[in-house]
This record gives sequence, structure tokens and C-alpha cells, in this order.
Amino acid sequence: MTYPERVLVTKIGFDGHDRGSRVVAAYLRDAGMEVIYTPPWQEITAVVNLAMQEDVDVIGVSSLATDHLIIPDLLQALRADGLAHVRLVVGGIVPQNERQDLLDAGVSAIFNPGATSGEIVHRVRTLASEARVLRDQEETV
Amino acid sequence: MSDPASLSQDSNLARDIERWQALYDSEIGEDRTVVNRSGIAVRPLYTPDDWSEGRYAEDLGMPGEAPYTRGIYATMHRGRTWTQRQLIGLGTPEDYNQRVRILLQQGASAISLLPCNSGFRGIDCDESPLPLLGTCGTVINTVEHMEAALEGVEIDKISTAMNDPTPFTLFAFLLGVAKRLGIPLDRITGTANQSDYISHYVANHMFYRLSQPGARRVFVDHVKFCREQTPNWNPVSVVGQHMQQAGATPAETMGLTLSTAIQYAEDCIRAGMDADHVLRRFTYFFDISISFFEEVAKFRAGRRIWARIARDRLGAKDPRSWRFKFHGQTSGVDLTQQQPLNNVARVTAQAIAGIFGGLQSMHTDGFDEALACPTEESARIAVATQNILREEAHLCDVIDPLGGSYYVETLTNEMEEKILAVIETIDAAGGMYAAVDQGIVQKMIGRSALDYQNRIESGQEKVVGVNCYQLEEAEAEVATYRPNRAAMEAQVKAFRTFKAERDQGQIRQVIGDLARAANGRENVYERVVAAAHAGATHGEIIACLRRELGFGHPQMVA
Amino acid sequence: MDGGASSPRTARLAQALRDGQRLALGRALTLVESGGEEGRALLRALRSETGQARIIGVTGPPGSGKSTLVDALIHAWRKEGQPVAVLAVDPVSPVSGGAVLGDRARMGAHSLDQGVFIRSVSARGHLGGLSAAAQDMADLMDVAGWPLIIIETVGAGQSETEVAQLADLSVVVSAPGLGDDLQAIKAGILEIADVLVVNKADREGASQTAKHLEGMLALRAEGRREVPVLKVSATEGTGIGALRDCLDSALSRARDDRQERRRAHKSVQATEILARRICRDLPEGFLDRYSLAEWERLIAEALHQVAKRAE
Repeated sequence: MTYPERVLVTKIGFDGHDRGSRVVAAYLRDAGMEVIYTPPWQEITAVVNLAMQEDVDVIGVSSLATDHLIIPDLLQALRADGLAHVRLVVGGIVPQNERQDLLDAGVSAIFNPGATSGEIVHRVRTLASEARVLRDQEETV
Repeated sequence: MSDPASLSQDSNLARDIERWQALYDSEIGEDRTVVNRSGIAVRPLYTPDDWSEGRYAEDLGMPGEAPYTRGIYATMHRGRTWTQRQLIGLGTPEDYNQRVRILLQQGASAISLLPCNSGFRGIDCDESPLPLLGTCGTVINTVEHMEAALEGVEIDKISTAMNDPTPFTLFAFLLGVAKRLGIPLDRITGTANQSDYISHYVANHMFYRLSQPGARRVFVDHVKFCREQTPNWNPVSVVGQHMQQAGATPAETMGLTLSTAIQYAEDCIRAGMDADHVLRRFTYFFDISISFFEEVAKFRAGRRIWARIARDRLGAKDPRSWRFKFHGQTSGVDLTQQQPLNNVARVTAQAIAGIFGGLQSMHTDGFDEALACPTEESARIAVATQNILREEAHLCDVIDPLGGSYYVETLTNEMEEKILAVIETIDAAGGMYAAVDQGIVQKMIGRSALDYQNRIESGQEKVVGVNCYQLEEAEAEVATYRPNRAAMEAQVKAFRTFKAERDQGQIRQVIGDLARAANGRENVYERVVAAAHAGATHGEIIACLRRELGFGHPQMVA
Repeated sequence: MDGGASSPRTARLAQALRDGQRLALGRALTLVESGGEEGRALLRALRSETGQARIIGVTGPPGSGKSTLVDALIHAWRKEGQPVAVLAVDPVSPVSGGAVLGDRARMGAHSLDQGVFIRSVSARGHLGGLSAAAQDMADLMDVAGWPLIIIETVGAGQSETEVAQLADLSVVVSAPGLGDDLQAIKAGILEIADVLVVNKADREGASQTAKHLEGMLALRAEGRREVPVLKVSATEGTGIGALRDCLDSALSRARDDRQERRRAHKSVQATEILARRICRDLPEGFLDRYSLAEWERLIAEALHQVAKRAE
């Protein structure tokens, strides 16, 4: 059974600059994916609810102004609500010395400025199929 | 053009151009197509065939004279250099105070204050996730916080700019500090940056706080309040920066900014204010991108168009009201995370464009500003960049040094045409407020943002270290600013105590008054100021106005 | 795909759905929407349990403010404690097949509310049509215990009209200043409207739009049921309470002829199921062998044969 990748493109925390998330949403759409797009400032609980209701494979969080610092909280909330299979990617500004913390917390990929649309689409697609495999495993258990 | 002398001159010129063109074609091989960000084709050479001083008086004029193409003051930077106004904000009020004192010692001639993102979101520090507090701005929720932030700063002598969106709580706190120090309010000078609520709905949702009709109401009341009580404060700063950062081209940015200014002017005039009174205190805030000549032309054309709009369309009679005063910030969009020290070169080029564009005040970005709040070192280099350009490169010696350049004058004319077309589109939609409501502006900007990204991806637009000249080796680590977590925790704790120990009855009273003003015809901003001075917090004031005037959401336009 | 009707996984999912688990509903909606065997098995297991929910279709041309109106209605119902589920159908890019499902962004204030469940659906080429998929998805929401379901579609084209037909109540939204789009309403979906809403009533021209719609309604054959025309402003919140009351009372009436409606819709659905089967069983690339015109001719021939045999 195949159906388009479902991706939630969102922003958490306080920053409102959404140029990047809009452009990425357009690229993913043009690659044939179904993108659920939200305005900035989503609360963590809201992102979890959205991911659940929309049954997304991948969540893309755009962070330009240190909002990535609360991404570990988001990952924890996703796991607590049965969404451990959902893959999470971060795009935007993550300083070099804070990247490892995010990866350790369970972030699957970090896209810095300069990442091309091709790279992003390819990675998200791969992660979406990974998420589906993980979910099937969860369900069979 | 009809006298024989000029005729023969013209035909000589035509012959010369033809000869050069033949030579050029034979030497260049295959020529590149160059189109600037605003979509104007850029040719390899400009001559008197493109521009000659035919309409000098009408289109250029002298500096300090309408239409101000060459600058709004007769002396421009030679008489008074631009104001060095570094936008800063970080950590606790005490952290800010320490940083601002360093900048003042180094020659900054004015200060500005960027509040914490939690404040932009309209909430106090006690409601915010701790890791996000103070990372991108200073936590200022009360008059007490403002007092600590400005301790030792002579606020009656130095101009302050506040990144202070509607309902202008920071300004209310600043006035509270002035009151405590016994400073008369007419001694307070500076600018309400981010008073431009329309740009927040369109482009920078950062400062989005009230519903659009609510923001419109508070905007007009705030202008009225300032006209009456703080006559030396600029209550309006129209922020083209937001449009350009969100992806609008430089020409679109200028067109949208001027359309926004028209909307604000008309709203104030409709509310019974005098055009000259209002317009004299209008200011503008722009991004300076690295598209060098395009930026210079953007500012020159914008100045000229605004002078004509203010005079002919808005009916301002005083030439001082026609002046297009603007603050320029070197654009963070052009900075890269890769090879961050390269950003010093970028900021330098952007700053020169701003200076040649005739700005009145400037912020130069720290090289790490694409990564985080500038560190002390990067903030120092940013200020030094301005000092070097002024003192060593002698950029202040001649007024409008690019004026009369065939290229720059032609480009100024071409940008003017593009800008006027944008204004026409917005007029046709019924003005900026209506155009935003209909999603026209958001679509325009969204399209341009995607176009620009595609230009980068296709290599048409080159970014060093990103899509060319990339480095193989690992990136050098740059220290990024993070506030002291323990100090921030202490600040939140102190804030909670402050709130608990206030006279709760009085707080209820002033918030009640604010709500009544919002629902009635009273000046609502007067009540904001009264509430702030009585000890109401930033978050409490905004929560009240959101309840009464509505908290909409930014429009999503696909 | 493994897992037939008796698969323990399907049974588990069906039970979780009956228990109202939101995670299960999100997952089940995907299975059903994507049209695989597992989704069909799930529907078979649950079909007999549907029929509790009331369904409202909301349709209108782009720019009429449907999403904002739905958002305002959710607020109104939530104030009374009424849980609401929404299927928000967004148009799909004809080029890539991808979609930015932005409708729910306009309903953003509800993502913290456990009494609201919103699912975005792209109008992508669902085998058997959008309306069949929407019906199946609404059925799942029904079984999961959502008593009120709103299906929001762009009011252009046949599939939207069909979606409206599966609702207990069809709301058609218009707004002043849409120009030619008003004509789209006239041509198609006005016929199926139970309630007409003129949104953005705070704008100039709202009264004319309402009059225009009333005029078009008057032209319809005598003896048709009464269609109220309500003026609201979803952004200002005016008229929303009245609209909610109107819908609530219309719903209690609509309930009676629901079975009849569903029967009428069945024949449409049968066609869809047939088309879905045929498309599924065709070898890959087979469809491209003939042009659409040629296909139409072949089908006409085949139908002729069937009719002959029936005689």
C-alpha cells in the first residue's frame, strides 16, 4: 500500500519568522508529499495532537531563534503519547555545539541554511518510510 | 534636444555606443544575463543615452530639498553622521545594562532595546519555558525591569529605540522610569520600532499580538498620545525590513512600505490629526541586503516617491513632513552559518550600501547574528565596522556620492517604476489594510521568497560557502551566547514575588480601567501607561487587551 | 498488504477505535484513506456500527472564508460542550500530487482541545472518488464516538457536490466580492444547499450578495423546501450563534430523512466502487493505452452489450 508521505511542518516556541518553513513546505508539496502546515508558536501538546490526528510520518520543526532548545521536550511528549515512530527533523539555525544534544535526544536530521531542496526532500522521504516500518513494528507487538 | 549642438552630440554618442558594443560582443563571447532581485535587467554599461541630467531639478534636486532624492538634509553625513544604533537585547535586565554601557563607551550614539521573544509573544517570564528566556532579547515585564536595564543611562539625553509592538508596553515602562527620575516627558527622544502592526500580519508574525482591528485602534490612540505628551518621540516606524526578510524583493518592499505608511497616515488623519503633525514623526526601518546598487537605488527612489506622496496625496504642507527618515539594518538574511567570519565582509558591503543610500541611523549585524545573539566580541566588531567606514574609508565626506552615475540614476528610475506599480496594486485593492485582509500581499511575498530560493538552488544567485567555495573541513566553532540559567531562574522567582506583593486591588482597578477604555472611546493607550505605572505587568496588559479587542491569528495564505 | 478481515491487528484497531482512542482514529483514517485491504477489512468490521453521528457538509468557493467559518462554528459548539470532528479537504497540486493542507492552520486554536479532532484530507486521486473516501473516513469518526462531523470542501466540481450529498445537512458559503465565483455556486451546488451563508457580512456588498442568492433561490421550482440565507462574519464572530442554532434545529429535522438520503447516495457510491474495482484490477499502464475519448467509446460499447444481455 502506498500513499504520499504525510509531513507536519511547524514552529514551536516564540519565534515567528516563517519564511523558511513556508519555502520548505512548498518544496515538499512539489515533491508529491502531503504537508500539514501550521502557523508559528505551536505549543508542544498541540504538535503532539496534530501529529496524532493527522497521522504524520515526519515532523519538520523550523527553528531560527533558539526554539530548538525545547525540542527534546517535544520528543519526549511524542514518545509518551505513542508516537515514538514519528521522525523529527529540524531546519534553521542550530549552533555547532548544540547539534549533538539534539541528535542524542532523538532528532533524525538537522538542516542548516544552505541545505538544498533535493537533500531535504530525499531525507524526509527516507525518514517517512523508516517511520512507517517502525510503526508497523509497534502495532504488531 | 532640438538644437543642432546636442543633436550632433547625440549622434556622436550613438556612434560611440555602437562601436563599444561591437568590441564588447567580440570580446565577451557568451554574455551572462543579469537580473537583479527586483527583476530589473542589468546591462553591462550605462551612458548618457540611459540617463542625463535633463530633469535634475524635478527628479534629484539638492540635498535637503524636495524630492530629497540626494538626501533629506542639506549637510547629510558630512554635517551629522548617521546615528549608530545597535539593536541589542539579551538575558536579564542587568545583562542588558552591562552590554549597553560597553556599547556607549565604544561610540554608539543611541541605544535600542530588543525584548525577549516571550515578551514578543505577549507573555511574562513566569509563563515561559525557562530555556527560551533571554536567549534572543532581554526579559522586561515591568517598570522595575526597565529601571534596572537602563540604570546609569541618561535617558533624557540619549535617544532610545524600543522594539515595542502594540500595545507599546516597553514605552510605557520607559515613561515610568522617566517619571521616577523626575524627567519631563518631552525630553524623551527616540522611536517606537515595531509600531507597524500591518507588517506583523503580513510578514513577521513575531510581534503579532492583537486582532487586526484591535491593533489599528491602539495604533491611532498611541500616535495621538505621543503627539500630546511625548512630542519628541517618533511613534511610527514603518518596517520594510519585515517584508524583505520574509522574501519580498527590494522594490516590492519599498512599495509595500510606502503603501503601509499611506494607510497609517490616512488612519491618523481620519481620526482628526493634522497631516503635518503626524508625518513629521514618521520614520522607516529597512533591511539593507547585499544587492549593493539595488539597495542604493531602492532608498533613493523611495525617498523621492514619499516626498511626492506626502505633499500631493496626503496634503502635508511643511517640507519637513515630506522627509523620508530611515534606519537601516544590515540584512541577517544574507549572513551564513557556514564560515561565519565571512559575514564581517558581507556586513561591510551592506553597510556601505546603506550609507550611500542616505540612511539616518544604522545597525550593523554581528558576524554571528545568523546563529544567535551577538557575543561581546562580535558586537564590538559590528560597531567598529561603522567607525572604520566613517573614519578610515571617508564615506562621510561627500553627499550622495553615487548621484549622477549613469547606472545608479537609471536604476533609481527603474526601481521607482517598479515601486509605483506595487503601490498601484495595493491602491486597487483598497489600501494596505484591505490588501492584507485579502491575502494579496502575503501571496506576493510568498512567490518572491520561493523565486529567490530557486535562484540560489539553481546557482543563479551565488552565496560564498553555501553554493560555491564551500569548505571541505569541519566548520570552526563559534561561541554562541546563552544566558546564565541560574540568574534567569532567580529573575523569574523575583518576578513572582513582585507580583504577589503588589496591591492586588489597585491592579484589578487599572486593568478594569483598561478594559473599559478598550470598549469605549477613551484613549486606550493612556490606560496602558497608567496600568504599567501602577505595577501591572506586560503580560497582564496584553492579556486584557486580547480579551477586549480580540486575539486573531495570522492569515495563512497558501 | 497482509491482514485480512480476521487479522488480529485489524481487530485490535477496531476495538481501540470503539474505545475512542485518538491515536487509533488517526491511524485508521490513513488506512482507509489510502484504500488498501487492511482499511477495507476495518470498514467491513465496523460498518454495522455507524449511523450515530450527524454530518454537516460545508462547501463554498475559494475566498468565501469556509475554514474561518468552520473555525467559528467549532468555537460556538465547543462553548456548549459539544465535541466536533472535522474532515478538511484541501485542493491538491495537479502537477505533483502533493498538497499543503493549510485549512487546519485556520482552525489552529483547537489543537489543544481534546473535544476537537481535525483531519486534513487532500483531494488527491482517491480511487473511487473523494466522496467515497470522505464517507468512509466520516464513518470511522462516527464509530470512534464523534457525534458531530463537519466535512469541509472547496466548492468547485462534481466531487464536492457528491460530498455534500452524503451529509445530513449541506451548508453553502459565499461572500461578497467573489465575482465570477458566485456563478460557480449557481451552476452546481446551490441545488443541494440546505442553508446558505453569506460570510464576511461586515464587508461592502454583503446585502447584495444575499439578495442575489435569495433571487436565485426564488427561481427554483415551487414546492421545494425553504432554504434560509444567513449573513455572518466569521472573523468578527457576528451571526455565528444564530447560524449554530439554525444548524442545530435543521439537523434535528434532517435526521428523519437521513436514510432516504443515504439510499439516494448509494447509487452514486455503487458507481464509484465499480470504478475503483476496475481501476484496481487493470494491469499497470493499461489505462494509458487509449485516450479518454477512446475509453469512453469502449465503455459505451461494453455498456451496450450489458444492456442487451439484460433484455
